[in-house]
Amino acid sequence: MNPSIRRLGAILVLLGSLVPALAAEAKLMITMMPKAKGNAYFISCKAGADKAARELGVELLFDGPTDSNAAKQNEIVENWITLGVDVITVAAENKEGISTALRKAQKQGIKVITYDADALPDVRSFFVNQATPQGIAYGLLDEAARLMGGEGEFAIITATLTAGNQREWLKHMDVRLAEKYPKMKLVAVRPSDDLKDKAQSEATALMSANPNLKLLMAICTPGTPGAAEAVKQAGKTGKVKVIGLGLPNENKRYVHEGVTESVMLWNTEDLGYLTVCAAVALAKDEIKLGATSITAGALGTFEIKGDNILLGKPYIFNQANIDRFDF
Amino acid sequence: MSTTDHQSGWKNILLRYETLLLAVLVVEWLFFYHYGTTTNRRGVFVGFGTLDRQFDILRHSCEIGLLALALTPVILTAGIDLSVGSLLGLCAILFGKLWRDGGLTIPVAAALTLVAGALGGGLNAGLITVLRLPPLIVTLGTYSLFRGLAEAITHGAVTYTDFPASFLFLGQERWLGLPTQAWLFLPVAAAVWLLVHGTATGRSLRAIGFSPEGARYAGLPVERRVALVYVLSGFIAAVAALIYTARLGQAKADAGTGYELFAITAVVLGGTSIFGGRGSVTGTLLGVAAIAVLKSGLATLPVVIRLNAAEEMSGMLTGALLLLALTGSILPKILSTLRARRQAG
Repeated sequence: MNPSIRRLGAILVLLGSLVPALAAEAKLMITMMPKAKGNAYFISCKAGADKAARELGVELLFDGPTDSNAAKQNEIVENWITLGVDVITVAAENKEGISTALRKAQKQGIKVITYDADALPDVRSFFVNQATPQGIAYGLLDEAARLMGGEGEFAIITATLTAGNQREWLKHMDVRLAEKYPKMKLVAVRPSDDLKDKAQSEATALMSANPNLKLLMAICTPGTPGAAEAVKQAGKTGKVKVIGLGLPNENKRYVHEGVTESVMLWNTEDLGYLTVCAAVALAKDEIKLGATSITAGALGTFEIKGDNILLGKPYIFNQANIDRFDF
Repeated sequence: MSTTDHQSGWKNILLRYETLLLAVLVVEWLFFYHYGTTTNRRGVFVGFGTLDRQFDILRHSCEIGLLALALTPVILTAGIDLSVGSLLGLCAILFGKLWRDGGLTIPVAAALTLVAGALGGGLNAGLITVLRLPPLIVTLGTYSLFRGLAEAITHGAVTYTDFPASFLFLGQERWLGLPTQAWLFLPVAAAVWLLVHGTATGRSLRAIGFSPEGARYAGLPVERRVALVYVLSGFIAAVAALIYTARLGQAKADAGTGYELFAITAVVLGGTSIFGGRGSVTGTLLGVAAIAVLKSGLATLPVVIRLNAAEEMSGMLTGALLLLALTGSILPKILSTLRARRQAG
């Protein structure tokens, strides 16, 4: 048994020698938790966060569940409480689930910021909101107007006719249409049940029912490639333009083929960058509730509305820039 | 083997696998107590040495511990039950549905959930004993079946939450000093220990594990005994489901995913032979503790947290611990073989 004990001893000594390696630290310690560590969306958030951490001279810990798992998010928050970090930033998988752990962190003086997906309002100081309903609605409609020259018929493919967030976007679009684009006509809003196939058949039906259709707009992510496929198969590339919300990777092909003009989402790198900037500002007491703006390094100034820090307008991915993004 | 005859009782106890495992556990605990207890940079006393953390370890071990207890008799009969994690998920969903959609009170819903767990185990038992199908295949099937049912009931989207505080008390609070669920875990542990080590049934389980045909010729009711351990396994999985739901405050279709493998690891680490016939409940409990202390302890080491890899490290080291312990357990055998060879040469 001696060899095994000796081996065990060697391992213990090895592990032990690692421990003092964490020397005294004066740097601020900021943490960032994604919903899932391997998700390309969050990896690109991390790229922005790393950049901000480098520029601001803070230490950034980035850890999260390997799968989207609310229980594991709690465990990692517990670990960070043990470490005694300065600010915890979280994209919450489960609003209620994470809140107990975050409340405990706050009790120990650790500041909390949420980004991407909010927790309960009382367990965090600010939520870095990647896109307001108005921002999404106006962004999409302005892009449509630009492509259509401000006039003509267009149709919308939505998730379901009852979906809360989509309905809110549509409401904002109606306002914007009446105010700014009176010559544009929304001929139909069709549901796709968040399925690419359904979106494709709805798009095909819309094109044959409305021969003057100039543009299809999808306001749910499966709808955008679905509509593009329909336009491509109908041989109407360029005649009926496609725009919509979506992840760059799902739409790259259609954008390069010229079927889809542009895809909108927020710039996830900027989301990570802004979140870390906000965390550092919070740790240094540079922003408090009631502040109306925050300066985030190279990105400039962002608006704060109540306890929401707004990333601002959605980001437009098109032929010129879509290859730079991988998520 | 002739050398063992000359050794005193003490030496025998020292060489027992459980003793080795206990030593590993103590070393582990002391290591984490030393390196994992700190006053952190906010001046708060934190980490492994706090009473809170020790209770947390107990709290977090209860579900895996129950499943490991359920699996010990199963593995003793040279069987396996891969469906316990999925059954835990299904039972959690059933419990949530009975309570919220069925309008039943918590005790009634809990009782029905336990019945459902036993029925789930009964399905395994029936397929294994009546149709004489291999346990690995049967429970691989029900592993998918139970999880699939849980997902179908919830459409993979519904999560049952907002359980009353009186129920969450079971998973999140303390009663008489200990985490509440420990008061459920300990009697189950005692009952399984008694069954395996204190009854004729327990001895017959080992006999079946060594040789089912031999046991049958010896007049043991093999089918009934085997059926019993699978039904028991299902029942205990349902108990674990209730504790899990109370601890997290939510029942979701993915509850307990992968738990069967953690439980099997604990049982095997505890010295129970995967081929059946040999093993002990004490070993299983030590195995559960060794893994729980390792997992929780790692997460208190500042260096590990700062590597952003607590989860990965605990997986790796659990595996390493298992391999190390298994190597250690056959070391005496290797040594005696070597000695015999030297004497022969």
